[in-house]
Amino acid sequence: MRRITLIMRDSIDPHLPIEAEVITPETLSKTVLVNVYVGNQKMMLSEVFDIRVDGEAAGPAATEIVIIGDASRVKRVGEYMTDGRIVVEGSIGMHCGDFMTGGTIEIMGDAGDWLGREMLGGKIICHGNAGNYCGSGYRGGRKGVRGGEIFVKGDVGDYCGECLFGGVVHVMGSAGLHAGVNMKGGKLIIEGNAVMPCGDMFAGECTIFGHVDDFMPTFAEVGKVVENGRELTVFTGDLAHRNGKGTLRVGSYTRI
Amino acid sequence: MPDYLLKNACVIDPVNHISQEIMDIAIVDGRIAEEPSKNSEVIDCGGMLVLPGGIDSHTHICGTKVNFGRYMSPEDMRAGRAPRGRGMRAVSGYSIPTTYGNSYRYAQMGYTTLTEGAMAPLEARHTHEEFRHTPLQDGLILTLFDGDWGVMRAIGAGDIKRAAALIAWRLNAVKGYGVKVTNPLGAEMWSWGKNVECIRKPIPFFDISPAEFITGVIEANEMLGLPHSVHLHCNNLGKPGNYTCTLGTMGLVKDLNEKRQTAYLTHVQFHSYGGSGWGDFCSKAEPVSRMVNLRPQITIDMGQVMFGRTTTMTADGPMEFNLYRLHQDKWSNHDVELETASGVIPVMYRRKNLVNSIMWAIGLELALLVENPWQCLLTTDNPNGAPFVKYPEIIGLLMSREYRDKEFATIHAGTAKRVVLPSLDREMTFDEIAVMTRAGQARALGLLERGKGHLGVGAEADIAVYPIRPDKIDPAKQYAEVIRGFGQTRYTFKGGVMISRDDEILAGSQNRMFWCSPKVPKAYDMDNDPELIRTFERFYSIQKENYPVDENYYIARSMKIETETKL
Repeated sequence: MRRITLIMRDSIDPHLPIEAEVITPETLSKTVLVNVYVGNQKMMLSEVFDIRVDGEAAGPAATEIVIIGDASRVKRVGEYMTDGRIVVEGSIGMHCGDFMTGGTIEIMGDAGDWLGREMLGGKIICHGNAGNYCGSGYRGGRKGVRGGEIFVKGDVGDYCGECLFGGVVHVMGSAGLHAGVNMKGGKLIIEGNAVMPCGDMFAGECTIFGHVDDFMPTFAEVGKVVENGRELTVFTGDLAHRNGKGTLRVGSYTRI
Repeated sequence: MPDYLLKNACVIDPVNHISQEIMDIAIVDGRIAEEPSKNSEVIDCGGMLVLPGGIDSHTHICGTKVNFGRYMSPEDMRAGRAPRGRGMRAVSGYSIPTTYGNSYRYAQMGYTTLTEGAMAPLEARHTHEEFRHTPLQDGLILTLFDGDWGVMRAIGAGDIKRAAALIAWRLNAVKGYGVKVTNPLGAEMWSWGKNVECIRKPIPFFDISPAEFITGVIEANEMLGLPHSVHLHCNNLGKPGNYTCTLGTMGLVKDLNEKRQTAYLTHVQFHSYGGSGWGDFCSKAEPVSRMVNLRPQITIDMGQVMFGRTTTMTADGPMEFNLYRLHQDKWSNHDVELETASGVIPVMYRRKNLVNSIMWAIGLELALLVENPWQCLLTTDNPNGAPFVKYPEIIGLLMSREYRDKEFATIHAGTAKRVVLPSLDREMTFDEIAVMTRAGQARALGLLERGKGHLGVGAEADIAVYPIRPDKIDPAKQYAEVIRGFGQTRYTFKGGVMISRDDEILAGSQNRMFWCSPKVPKAYDMDNDPELIRTFERFYSIQKENYPVDENYYIARSMKIETETKL
């Protein structure tokens, strides 16, 4: 087991974004002598973080990376991660866990936008809130998250689970606008409330236990179910789409 | 500028009747010379194929519609990304790359001259700005006249001279090279949510039929003595059964010019469809190519479709709307004030789709059935049929029957009954390919006089050196090597400057803009024409004074061509 502890240095300008796609178990299990970009400056990882390495490297699977300090401007941590574990003691920046296929990322604080976008497998647990586009696709892409699991204990911003194609996105708090828009598969669970969810849904399953405001008139009611002690109204749609086969289950709703 | 001597080059230069001759080529001061200068840099071409620089007579690489394609397809920008390096800026995009991406890829394929196929006059400035940032190729811009109210009224009134004068004024104002007519009169009908049916029915308000319009514009074009003929995109693009309309349009073209064709019909693949609907859709490449064979005054280009993702963009607004209804994906549509219209949608051509498979076959059939390669040029109508990076594959398909058969086996099984491609044995030679990609293109565009498309003494030193040994390989069998060879030159020269070597770009800012300014007599100078002034004041959102493109500000290096007119 090899544990790499990265402690954010105070000397780094807190206004500059840090591009750190190297912070993955694959790279750091081999070496910590790697570069990151701070603004437009190329720097060594050790200039940005105090690095402590414990134990021997035995491949990415047996590697744990711990990030300590305010990493909310550190972007692309765990991008293309395949195995191992990343623990963020504070908050993390944008694009954490993009394209990841395996392993676990655990975030104790908040996550930035695009958490786990286009993820293929693995698991992300966020104990705080996540930003916009949590578990979504990217601009113009037609396939978003294709596998794996994203679990957010707090709230999420807008466009959560956009273009969801497979896997599970589970939010314990509330979602902003347009959660599950363009969904094509997978499972989106929101325990709180949502606004205008699931427009242009093709397939997949979205469950919102709380209150749903203002959702599309192109969803047809098909019945009621009881889940986790709550009665949910089941809709199918989006019928504006030619072959809308999605399922939307909501706790309560208002439609305009 | 260093001079060069290319030794042991296997040259194909159809204009000067040179066919696979091993010879030396001297470049002195950016031109081909008889003798090398004393301090020439010697490059051993070791029997490699040396052709004049490639010319693309119909492509869409600059202007508002290309840019709108970029806006609406962020997913396309994720493909084709390359970091800065080897002399290049960072680029991205596959079917609609950044301007630099276009320029580098064309340069590496040996292309040195590009023709933007359609520019809305009102949006000329943007087009010129983008060409300014396409650093390695000379540019020609064809200007759209399909919905021009002034020209329509003049032709409707039978006053061809006035139509010619208006065309001259506008070409001069927007720094255009030639006349492009897209779906004649369709743009005007599209303003009413309709389209023209074929060429014979007059449209309301202007009381003029597409046929009258086409013949009128052709006559006006010849009157102005423009180097290029009318560049015509026929009516009813992409509709099953439209080949009758194409044949009718071809029948209108009289032989009016001895140097070049009288009409250039573009992306004819999209206009050679039979059947009455998508159910009985089939190829009609045979009658169309027979018509071309009978009429030397017509030159066509293939508009070949290749499988994969791309973006269609055309001034043919109603056609794009129909395509949108078919695909239900994204669609952009634009009406340019009394000038033209446009539409942009991304598409995916699939091997497993019967219609797409037939389209793929039709382009190849046209090229193989037109007997004279000078009359059928190689294009994909980039990016409508496919991005231009597919040209080497198309060359492979034309040169090798084996490759065609192999590809044919992978497409929709129902295709065989609807096309004649499997029965065609023709395998093109390197000479014919050189005509279809260079010499023929230069002649069609009227660029031979400007030293393009050939390697004779005095010609501009636009040269592509391909790592292909024509004497050592059999293209019919070793098509993979042909494709690889045409995919990337060993060296590309533009105007005597080595712009690329293998995958490295060695120069920047070599681009020049060719544009035409017909010399019209004072009586036909439209600058003070009351009707034109009134048109701007009443209908345009900008004033006539704001309309012209400033030569010094918008164009990197201006090559003005003054033509003698018969007005």
